Amino acid sequence: MSQPKIAVDLILKKLSEETEKLKSHTRKASEVLLNPLNSELAQTPYEIVYEEDRVKLKYYRPKKITHKRPLLMVYALINRETMLDLQPGRSVVQNLMDDGVEIYMVDWGYPTRKDRYVTIDDHVNGYIDRMVNLIRERSGIEKINLMGICMGGAFSVMYSSLHPEKIKNLITTVTPTNFDTDKGLLHIWMKSSGAESLLDVHGNMPGDVMNLGFLLLNPARLMIDKYVGFFENMDKKQFVENFIRMEKWIFDSPDIPGATFKQFIEDCYKKNLLIQSKLELDGKRVDLKKITMPLLNIYGKYDHLVPPEACELLTKNVGSDDTEDMCLDTGHIGIYVSSKYQKEFAPKISSWLKKRESDSKKKTVQKKTASKKSVENKTKKQKIEFAKSKSATAPGTHSGRQKKATKGAKIASGRKQ
Amino acid sequence: MDQNKQNNDDMQGMYTAWTKFMTDFWKDFGKTGAGTPFSNSDDKSSAKFSGGIFEKTQKTMESNARLFQAMASMFTKPENLSMFFQTTETLPEFMLNVAQQSWETCIESGRRWSDRASAMGQTDAYNFDDLDHETFENIRQLYEREVQKYLNIPQLGLTRGYQEKINRLIDKQTLFSTTLQEFMYLFFVPIEKSHGIMQEKIEQMVEDGEIHDDYKQYYSMWIKILEGHYMALLQSPEYTKVMNKTIKSLTEYKKAKEEILTDVLQQLPVPTNHDMDELYKDLYLLKKKVMDLSEKIKG
Repeated sequence: MSQPKIAVDLILKKLSEETEKLKSHTRKASEVLLNPLNSELAQTPYEIVYEEDRVKLKYYRPKKITHKRPLLMVYALINRETMLDLQPGRSVVQNLMDDGVEIYMVDWGYPTRKDRYVTIDDHVNGYIDRMVNLIRERSGIEKINLMGICMGGAFSVMYSSLHPEKIKNLITTVTPTNFDTDKGLLHIWMKSSGAESLLDVHGNMPGDVMNLGFLLLNPARLMIDKYVGFFENMDKKQFVENFIRMEKWIFDSPDIPGATFKQFIEDCYKKNLLIQSKLELDGKRVDLKKITMPLLNIYGKYDHLVPPEACELLTKNVGSDDTEDMCLDTGHIGIYVSSKYQKEFAPKISSWLKKRESDSKKKTVQKKTASKKSVENKTKKQKIEFAKSKSATAPGTHSGRQKKATKGAKIASGRKQ
Repeated sequence: MDQNKQNNDDMQGMYTAWTKFMTDFWKDFGKTGAGTPFSNSDDKSSAKFSGGIFEKTQKTMESNARLFQAMASMFTKPENLSMFFQTTETLPEFMLNVAQQSWETCIESGRRWSDRASAMGQTDAYNFDDLDHETFENIRQLYEREVQKYLNIPQLGLTRGYQEKINRLIDKQTLFSTTLQEFMYLFFVPIEKSHGIMQEKIEQMVEDGEIHDDYKQYYSMWIKILEGHYMALLQSPEYTKVMNKTIKSLTEYKKAKEEILTDVLQQLPVPTNHDMDELYKDLYLLKKKVMDLSEKIKG
């Protein structure tokens, strides 16, 4: 009698052990699920300082303000800004506050059918502009720092081009500006999709439809594997709490105002006007060359929604010479919520801003010195001007060296593909 | 042939007898009126109704009887009678023809579906060029050829608008469900393909004696294969085409549904979406104007 190739007895033994494990797993899981769970989002305290229609402006005050300028964070119209303050220990807001940054954050609220006519122009030159003015008034400074997330980043780019006099530094994170790419299913679908036709019946783009679209980007992982993972770990309280928190955030999807959605699809996804400086908002052209303030552009290497190809052209097309690309080895959401990037993302932003603050201090000192000496000696002034032009090669100013440095940063962060 | 002729003659004879009987009946019926109490001109009640409703009714009956008599005489003429019988002969033929055509289409579609079903397991892994859109196209064509035209018949009368809207809803709902079925089928294909590959892999593993005792390894293998198939499908132009078709048919269906709902709401003290949209637009434009003016004043 020959030896069987498959050890059936071992398989049966394993099966019996697994059944025992499953019994104990189910018992523990039911204990976890039947007891109180903390799955609250956005627990950092804030104050509402402005309200208009459905839009609110949240203000987060750090214990100690160490940055001169406040930072306005503009989130996308897709999903909610609560992701930036997901939970204690995983909060971009908390990390920036710990670094002494004063934060204002736009809460776009839940658009209703009433908002179907609200355009991109209304968001950028209306709501955002009025909020920027308010922050300038409150803090008594001319220019504030602006940070945009995803579609909110695209809005921030538009705003900085149309109102450069009000923005000191611009930070874009996972921001699509170049839509002429076939990387990422969203780009493929949106170019040929007739999703805008849904606006005729719904008025706005329903959040549920958007969510279904996002799930269909990877059905095997997002509709099957994710929940298999949940069932495997549902006996761990912390895992369950984090999972539920994320589920709450993912499926908390406001509708997108119809006119805004239509314009974003047609002008950006289909015609790719933004990166070509051809986009117009209520007749005003968004010229990227007018973005002359320092720009930090952060994106994810494995972002399946806004791939690197959609983000990386921005720095090459703006008017500013102080630009930096930073590609992180993570996805669209991982930048903000992964444990790894809690230690890198927010600290990078606050140090980048701090550096530009001290640069501007140096410049102010240099300017004062120059004007004083010009009174004393015209020849000396010329020398100072020369020195100033030389100092322009330092980070934060215009130079070819800066461009090289940007390229270097990209390679260092693993974007060499 | 002779048998048919004999049958026709019998039918004609019966018809002639029947029309004659009916003609006589209506003739007598018309005359009967003269014998009724209402017809007596000396009667008091008759005087009361003289020139009234009964006299008019009697006249109408007489007139109808004459009309029927004329019609019947016309029909009983040999040439008209034979034409009538020819027409009645062609009617079942026509019905038979329609039924035959529909049946043939059904059989043809059935044959194609069974061919497709038997070919299902023969598709290549990670390849979606051979997707079977024809089955769904056949269903759609069958519906459009055999049913849709009846729903598109122009409606008449006061309620024609409402009836057309109901027909449109039925039409759009059918088209949407057909497209949705195609969309769902597309999502099933990667699962079916992944099962096929997994089966082959397990068979190979059994042959090689490499069976794992950890079920998780099989799951990981399967989900990876499934993900690969979905990625290939979702990037294919076929998928985009079907997705767009589904979105379009959903929009049309929802529009048709909303049209009917609007009609219902108009009978109730409830504003419709259309009413509210107009109001929202006015409000939006007014707000914008006020905002511009207040900024001008501030400036």
